[in-house]
Amino acid sequence: MSAKEPLYTLHERIWHWLQAAAMILLVLTGFAIHYPDRFGILGSMARAVSWHSWIGFALILNAFLGLFYHLTADKYHHYLPKMDDFTGGAIRQARYYLYGIFKGEPHPYEADLRHKLNPLQKVTYLALLNILLPYQIVTGVLMWGANRWPVLFEKAGGLRVLGPAHTLGAYLFAAFLIGHIYLATTGHTPWSLFRAMITGNEFPEGTERHDKPETETA
Amino acid sequence: MTGEARPRRRERRHNKAGTAWVLWTLVAVCWAATLFAQTPDPRPGQSTPPPPKIKHPAIALKDAAGGNVLDSGKPISTRQTCGGDCHDYDFITDSFHFQQGKNEMNPELLKSHGIASFNSSPGMFGKFSIIPNRQLTHAGITDPSDADMSQPEWLLKCGVCHTGGGISEVDLRGRKFLSADAKPEGPLDPSYTIRDRESGQVVPWDWEKSGTAEADCFICHVPKASRGARREEMTAGNFRWANNATLAESGIVTKDEKGGFTYDRAAFNPDGTVKTEVLNLSDPTLENCAKCHGFTARDTTTIQPIQHADIMRGTEKAGWIYNGAKISDTQTPHIVGKETMNFPWDAHAAKDLVCIDCHFSPNNPGRMIQEDTAKNLAYKPGQNDIAVYLKRPDHNFARGNIPPETVNMTRHNTMRGCEECHDAEKSHAFLPYKSLHFKALACQTCHIPAVHFWAYRSDEWGFLMDTGTSRITFRGIEGNIVDPDAKVTGFHPAYVPTLAKDGHLEIRPTNLITGVYWFDKGKGRPVFTWQVQQAFFESWSKDVGWTYRPEVVKAFGDQDGIIDLPQGVYNTPEKIELVKGLLKKYAGIPDAELRIEVVPWAMSHSIAGKEQATKDCTACHGKHSILHRPLDLDDALPKGVPVIYGGKNVNVVNYKGGAPTFDNRPLLSSFYIIGNSRATWIEWLGWLSVIGALLFVLVHGAIRLFGGKS
Repeated sequence: MSAKEPLYTLHERIWHWLQAAAMILLVLTGFAIHYPDRFGILGSMARAVSWHSWIGFALILNAFLGLFYHLTADKYHHYLPKMDDFTGGAIRQARYYLYGIFKGEPHPYEADLRHKLNPLQKVTYLALLNILLPYQIVTGVLMWGANRWPVLFEKAGGLRVLGPAHTLGAYLFAAFLIGHIYLATTGHTPWSLFRAMITGNEFPEGTERHDKPETETA
Repeated sequence: MTGEARPRRRERRHNKAGTAWVLWTLVAVCWAATLFAQTPDPRPGQSTPPPPKIKHPAIALKDAAGGNVLDSGKPISTRQTCGGDCHDYDFITDSFHFQQGKNEMNPELLKSHGIASFNSSPGMFGKFSIIPNRQLTHAGITDPSDADMSQPEWLLKCGVCHTGGGISEVDLRGRKFLSADAKPEGPLDPSYTIRDRESGQVVPWDWEKSGTAEADCFICHVPKASRGARREEMTAGNFRWANNATLAESGIVTKDEKGGFTYDRAAFNPDGTVKTEVLNLSDPTLENCAKCHGFTARDTTTIQPIQHADIMRGTEKAGWIYNGAKISDTQTPHIVGKETMNFPWDAHAAKDLVCIDCHFSPNNPGRMIQEDTAKNLAYKPGQNDIAVYLKRPDHNFARGNIPPETVNMTRHNTMRGCEECHDAEKSHAFLPYKSLHFKALACQTCHIPAVHFWAYRSDEWGFLMDTGTSRITFRGIEGNIVDPDAKVTGFHPAYVPTLAKDGHLEIRPTNLITGVYWFDKGKGRPVFTWQVQQAFFESWSKDVGWTYRPEVVKAFGDQDGIIDLPQGVYNTPEKIELVKGLLKKYAGIPDAELRIEVVPWAMSHSIAGKEQATKDCTACHGKHSILHRPLDLDDALPKGVPVIYGGKNVNVVNYKGGAPTFDNRPLLSSFYIIGNSRATWIEWLGWLSVIGALLFVLVHGAIRLFGGKS
């Protein structure tokens, strides 16, 4: 592996930012639908509904492209937690966030080309991408399709069930976004992780890098 | 070859040119012929004149024996005149428009409709309603205290609109009045008695004197029908001449001094038939239907829905005005803000639709909706024949589902619905999730955004005014409804779920009329009005009228001894207890209970066009959704008493924040209105997670920032 290889590939960065933009816009348009008279950012509720649907489908497409990329580029293993990640690893990372970070301790898990996610990230993304995202897609698509497949829509409980269910998912996504954006400031510098996701590397060209050759193990 | 070819080419060219000329000439001739053949388009703004109506043939007016009334001078018998050889009188009158529940007096049927057992039918002949607060007396009673409204009294009070036929010809046991086998079954038989107001006793009714009222075909089929003259005869108990009275303005009859009517020979042909241009029998016009159903006019600037001392029912109950004129053109009454209402009272009336366009006879081949029992036919040929229709026109007119009406429920939603004329999918481009909206909402929900007239707000028989009648309040008007200078402010409807055509619930606009009445818990029925009168008044006479009991005046009145409308209220528990005691003491009702009943009257007229219809999403989907808009009930509703809605104990009255208002949240709980509905636990959980994340960020960030290590 070349020493110049970025921590996050261009594909990963594009996928991430598209997903981020879609999620933020979905939360915003979702709020415009949930609070139409107090959060009318798009002028009318009908427009908010339309935008929400289009962005939702863009997110689904992006999610599938991301899945395809991670599977074919052999990148999915970053997201697969080991047993230790659920227990000891998660505890170590949590301890760092809740204690070590204030003491100036080093990160227990440095990101590198083979280990881009810390144990807590792995567990969180496992739940997010495999439970919350599909849950939100299914409830959202069922609502979107109320006109198209009304029987299925009604069998799923109709708006009475799907509306609150989708709303709960939206709140959880909003909470995730807040936490995710904040924790992105916990790199070596507050901006280093943002830089990594923009340029591919946490550190500017020519400075210390934390990528390790693929032959090494963590 | 070349030498031969040249002339041929020229020949061909010459032939081609000739053919072209022929073709062009043909096209020109065809085009010219088409021009001449075309019917000129009506000018813009001008509707195509309707085709001429087929006139009803001249008829002879016959008496009950079948003789010409010109010869006998006797009352007109519609059974003989319209029935006889032409129309099937018994078939026509065996319909809900005539029977009003009389042919549905079946306890099992009532039970299946969820109608309380103290009612005797699901129609107006037999079903309790908070507005008249009267109950038709059940057949077979033995206790005089069980007698309220007898059949003759029902005809006196309601017979002006309920135009004869079954109710006024046949007793509760199915025997024809004045026939050999028609006789009372005991001294309290409600078909042959009436309660005398002065003595309070149940006394016999003289059918020989009153006669019976056959179906009044004229009030619907004669354009110049006189409801006022008919009302005079019916309220006077002169039933046998009521149908003649309906023709009082047609020039055919004149009232005589003996209480009957004479016939004007000038209105008749030499052969004894009535001149067709005088009787002018026709399909019911707007004006015919308006005589009973509500204010209806093609195009008028004067709205007066009080006809011969009766408020027209549709206007009274739901405030609807079926009129093609613009509201802004209204001269009388004073409509507040009319300057900005440059649209018609009703969009359908403005398009010249008449009542029978939607409420047609179900077997009229020209209008009927074909029932596809095979479920795969778009058209079923030979289903009906014009001859069958003319002989037996079905008078169970196509209708919608108008709560709280329950008569002949099997025929609810048989009318031509909005969707059968309008393709809503094509005309609501702005609306997302059309089918979802169309399923959840009746068209009227958006197309009756406001009522620009007044209507009943409450009719409270729990307290009786000095007229011996109820305490009535109106909404949508500042002042008295008979005062032309009173300000008509209009009102916004309340929204309740009702059954749609396919049986699902849809939200529909209604006017709410609140009743406050006494319920006899021992007998399981509302206390009769005459019993409440016994409790409130010590006497009644023709000269003085009703005289309150001293204890009533002391509790409710002031120093002048008069009880005005604002005073006739149960604003303390002591007043409720007082009247409860009076009911026990003077009416013999030991356990009376004061009740509130909120009754929705569905709105289906006063339809707004697309410009005025509700289109703003936030109107329904916002925090202050109009679907939950509180409609003011009577300011003076008693507190702490049971509230009835739809026959059940449902608390739909909200006393918080001053005047009581209607709270429909218990009724709309099965609807999820995005942007308005909230699942409380999900909102709590959702906001806890978001606020929790924010708090974590704030606290964690602050420690990092000010802790100095990271």
